[in-house]
Amino acid sequence: MPEPQEEVVPTPSARAVAWVRRRRTVAAHWATFRRSRQGVVGLVILCGFGLLAIFAPLLVDETQLEPATATAPPLHPPSLEYPLGTDNFGRPVLGLIVMGSRISLMVGLTATFGAIVIGALVGVTAGYFGGRWIDSVLSAITNWVLVLPWVVLAIVLSSVLGRSVLNIIVVIAITSWASTARVVRSQVLSVRERAYVERSRALGAGHWHIVTRHILPNVMPIVFANAVLTVALVILAETTLSILGLGDPQAVSWGVIIEESFSAGALTAGWWWWLIPPGLAIVFVTLAFTMCGYALDEVLNPRLRQR
Amino acid sequence: MGRGYLIRKVLHALATLFFVVAFNFVLFRVMPGDPIALLTRSERLTPADIAELQAEYGLDQPLPAQFVNYVGDTLSGEFGVSLRSALPVSTLVGERVWPTFLLVGISTVLATVLGILIGIRGGWNRGSRFDSRTLYGSMVLYSMPEGWLGMLLLITFAGTLGWFPAGGFDTGETTGFAAVIDVANHLFLPVLTLTLGYIGEYAIIMRSSLLDTINEDYITTARAKGVPDRLVRRRHAVPNAFLPTFTLIFLSFGYVLGGAIVVEVVFSWPGLGQLTYDAINQLDYPVIQAIFLLTSAMVIAFNLAADLTYGFLDPRVRHA
Amino acid sequence: MRRTFGNAALVGVLLLLGLAPMALAQTGEETGAEAGDDEVVMRVGTILDLANDNPWGVVGGYDWGVATIQYDMLLQFSDDDLSPVPGLAEGCEPNEDHTKWTCTLREGLMWSDGTPLTSEDVAFSYRFVLDNSMTVYKSYLPFNPTFETPDDRTLIWRSEQPTFAPDLPPWIYIVPKHIWKEYDGKDKKEIKSAPNTPSVASGPFTLTEWERGQGWTMERNPYFWGEPPVVDRIEFRVFDNQEAMVQALKNGEIDLADGLQPSVFRTLEGAEDIATQKVVSDWWLNLAFNFGGQSKDADPHPALHDPAVREAIAMAIDKQEIVDKVYLGFANIGDTIVREASTYWHLDIPEDEEYPYDPDAANAMLDEAGYRDTDGDGIREDPESGRPFELLMPASDETTGAVEAGQLIVGYLDAIGMDVQLQAASDGKMNDYWGSGDFDMYIWYWTGDPDPNYQLWVFTSGNCGSWSDGCYQNPEFDALYEEQTTIFDREERRDVVFEAQEFIYEDLPGLVLAYPSWLEAYRTDRFTDWTPAPGENGYLLPGYNYNSLLSVRPVAGAAEASSPGLPAWIWVAGVAVLGLVGWRVATRGRRERDLEA
Repeated sequence: MPEPQEEVVPTPSARAVAWVRRRRTVAAHWATFRRSRQGVVGLVILCGFGLLAIFAPLLVDETQLEPATATAPPLHPPSLEYPLGTDNFGRPVLGLIVMGSRISLMVGLTATFGAIVIGALVGVTAGYFGGRWIDSVLSAITNWVLVLPWVVLAIVLSSVLGRSVLNIIVVIAITSWASTARVVRSQVLSVRERAYVERSRALGAGHWHIVTRHILPNVMPIVFANAVLTVALVILAETTLSILGLGDPQAVSWGVIIEESFSAGALTAGWWWWLIPPGLAIVFVTLAFTMCGYALDEVLNPRLRQR
Repeated sequence: MGRGYLIRKVLHALATLFFVVAFNFVLFRVMPGDPIALLTRSERLTPADIAELQAEYGLDQPLPAQFVNYVGDTLSGEFGVSLRSALPVSTLVGERVWPTFLLVGISTVLATVLGILIGIRGGWNRGSRFDSRTLYGSMVLYSMPEGWLGMLLLITFAGTLGWFPAGGFDTGETTGFAAVIDVANHLFLPVLTLTLGYIGEYAIIMRSSLLDTINEDYITTARAKGVPDRLVRRRHAVPNAFLPTFTLIFLSFGYVLGGAIVVEVVFSWPGLGQLTYDAINQLDYPVIQAIFLLTSAMVIAFNLAADLTYGFLDPRVRHA
Repeated sequence: MRRTFGNAALVGVLLLLGLAPMALAQTGEETGAEAGDDEVVMRVGTILDLANDNPWGVVGGYDWGVATIQYDMLLQFSDDDLSPVPGLAEGCEPNEDHTKWTCTLREGLMWSDGTPLTSEDVAFSYRFVLDNSMTVYKSYLPFNPTFETPDDRTLIWRSEQPTFAPDLPPWIYIVPKHIWKEYDGKDKKEIKSAPNTPSVASGPFTLTEWERGQGWTMERNPYFWGEPPVVDRIEFRVFDNQEAMVQALKNGEIDLADGLQPSVFRTLEGAEDIATQKVVSDWWLNLAFNFGGQSKDADPHPALHDPAVREAIAMAIDKQEIVDKVYLGFANIGDTIVREASTYWHLDIPEDEEYPYDPDAANAMLDEAGYRDTDGDGIREDPESGRPFELLMPASDETTGAVEAGQLIVGYLDAIGMDVQLQAASDGKMNDYWGSGDFDMYIWYWTGDPDPNYQLWVFTSGNCGSWSDGCYQNPEFDALYEEQTTIFDREERRDVVFEAQEFIYEDLPGLVLAYPSWLEAYRTDRFTDWTPAPGENGYLLPGYNYNSLLSVRPVAGAAEASSPGLPAWIWVAGVAVLGLVGWRVATRGRRERDLEA
């Protein structure tokens, strides 16, 4: 009988080992996250709105949302045909809210992405070269941006750049990156002192290697949690700017609906269906991001886990 | 606290202030719209008249000269004259400070005190019914846009119920004690709006900070020593949790001001926020510049105060 | 430290309880007027703030309104059609060639501080404008006039060239020489920032109090030359948004709301005890075409020079729908460039001669003229330059309805093969566009005087680079404009003014989209006998003259305006309770320690 041959198992490469480890970590995090009721509820709501945003064009007749081609009677109270009534142009409010989810979510995610990228870049650089002049300069700039009154700055920039969705995104990203930078920097500072980083340096690893292999993976979780919380702030910021009249009238976000209804005197006139639903939508989405964000924070930030 | 620490922080604050001044100047030169042309659209002017107006407002000099003038003026407290009403900016801004101070001050105090108390109670009894209820409540309030919240309160309390006036600072027709009550009645809804808008955030911050502290070793030690829970909380946990809370609350001051602008517009409250909004719509550069500078300076001052307090209270820093 | 805090709280509570009786003595009713029993007070809510209280610094907002209430002019605007009627002067007579006008003032005129008002004050006011180059008013004094005052009641106006300027009348407020002479010759900034509260004036009310951002008070002038008003005092209150102002009107906090939005206005129609007034428009919503030439950045679509293109655009726009959807019906369809409020001069194009709303005809016209869509993308191209009809259209977001109308127009022009990009812009940005000419058409507004001269002047060739929207230049129109400046007979002149308006209507340098109405609403259970001007659909509040304030009377048995709010005792009780609670929390530490002991 031939001897059972030993299976030749290829030695896993370092990279493969690292990936397996990461997958397991993610799975572990997910398990912890799932246990947090608020996190799950938040995630469900977000998925709901996300789907709404993605499938919006299929759900809504876009011609009804153009002032020139809207056919419904203006300022009509909620009815079977128009579950949330219509606005002053005769556009169904439900349709506006569904389409608005696209704008509000897009602005939220894109501006946050921009803010996070800038913040992470600045924070990592400052933290990695902590104590040296680069850090001093970047930290000074960060503190300075934190100090500027963001609303006034945002209003002024909107004035300069004009009222469009892109400009709103740019404006919010520019005024929001600083707190991320701070968080990232302090995290990088603490990671930098860890043993394996020292060892890496001793072995002659370059800056780039250390940053991408050691620092970033440890910083990303915090950044991720921070990003989710930032989206909530960004959505509220976009709402504030829209309420102050800086939104793009052709990209109707929820904030723009609120602004239009308030300037038309909706509540006093009794057209509650025009003013209240968009606000509720904002509350739900922001709440969802906040709940997810805090749940994530608890998952990824070891100090907060209940012993 | 070490003198080095104090000097460093003060210098840092002054440097930041200088950058703000410079940025202020540059920013408003980039704004679109020639303010002279804007002011005079409905007047019939010859180009000579326009040139005259430009000279009057110092807009015809080369940029570096304008900058030097600007810095000099700022240092001497001269903020120029409003392009809209030709009245001195310092007067216009000065008379708006008190209403905003009242509004923002009272709201911040209420939101901070109540938020901290709720956060402490919630964090200490983590998982309790009080905690989960207040946590959800805080998150819901945190997620509400202040402007929208203000609108709802305006319509409910001033509109439907008619309990409070619909806006403004006072009726201007009362004196003495009755005037105080009058202002209080007008102040109620805007303060309620701002307070509700921020109480959630502060409660959450305090709660997180307390939770962080609870997991520290010295707490475990104190408990192991048999110190009653109440005292552990009051003597050890809370004071240590205060420090990061303070910092974060001071940092959020910038956001509070932002919320104040919208609330002032919703309630016709004659403060700096309303002035900012009007000035920007009318491109009244000198006014906007002055407000930008003033609010930045306030935030810088608050941060400095926070840093110094931190330095005073935190022994680790004190002896650095 | 805790003990001190607890004690402080206790003391605070006791103090408040001590103050309570005083508070109860002055109860909540005080939030109404602290008026004497028979003082008649009118409370007005407005969305426009007062920017400057002195007549030389008038900028916008309610500045003009306040100045018109408290100051007189040489002549006044009549109630029915804004024609000149006696004001301070009983009349002005010209000589044969209209180079010398003699005006006779009324007898017994006085200022609100008791000093007599003489022709010297009038001459001073006009000279002040010229000597200090007060740009807002200069154009009313053309041809370097000089003034003589042979006696207290006579003013002689000498003009280098024939003019009808004194008869317009010049919209210049007559100010007291004894107050303003110290500012004569001073720096303009100083003049414009001169404080004028409380003021000295000749009109029925003077400005006595001003709280910026909040409101102002005007009180009856005991020395007013005309019929004394019944109202003793007017309180103006500024509102930042419609909700609050309408609330206040419904609550009874204010008697009249000035400057409502169409949507809110509609809901007030038929409301209990509230009447609405749709005021004839003194401005118009303007869609202006750009012909280029302002600067090197100006590169508008060349096809706009073709009258056929402009006519097609005119036929593609549904003005009725703009009126219905944007202004909820509270506007009139626009046609000619002289404002509706200038009822004497405004030309109304008969309906059958107006451009019809006919997108099919517009499409046919463009096809015939050769502007076809050659590449099948739905957008027409200009055959000569190959340039597609992609048009940039800024719209002012500070002009009521401009952006909304713009949104509709994007749709209308899309239907005739033009791709319009709407850009909402602040007035500051609009100025940039205007100055650089970097746009194809824009939506803004025009306003002017009761006299049509200025409005016609704006469209003359010479204004390219200054006041012209899009550098429209047509010598035929220039000739018509010149002609009407030389005719002194009112009716004859009107014929030429009508011709000029018709010319513009046909040549289409732009489109007058709509005449939006100014909207006011008032409580019928408070005041009555308003005198709207001009005409039945005129302003209830100045406006053009203050006669409405002279005629208005309180309704018999009317309630006083009041401000809602919690009465004083609730506040005191509330603070007391808070104080007690705070004290308990603060001293809890002490009690707990005592328990442990």
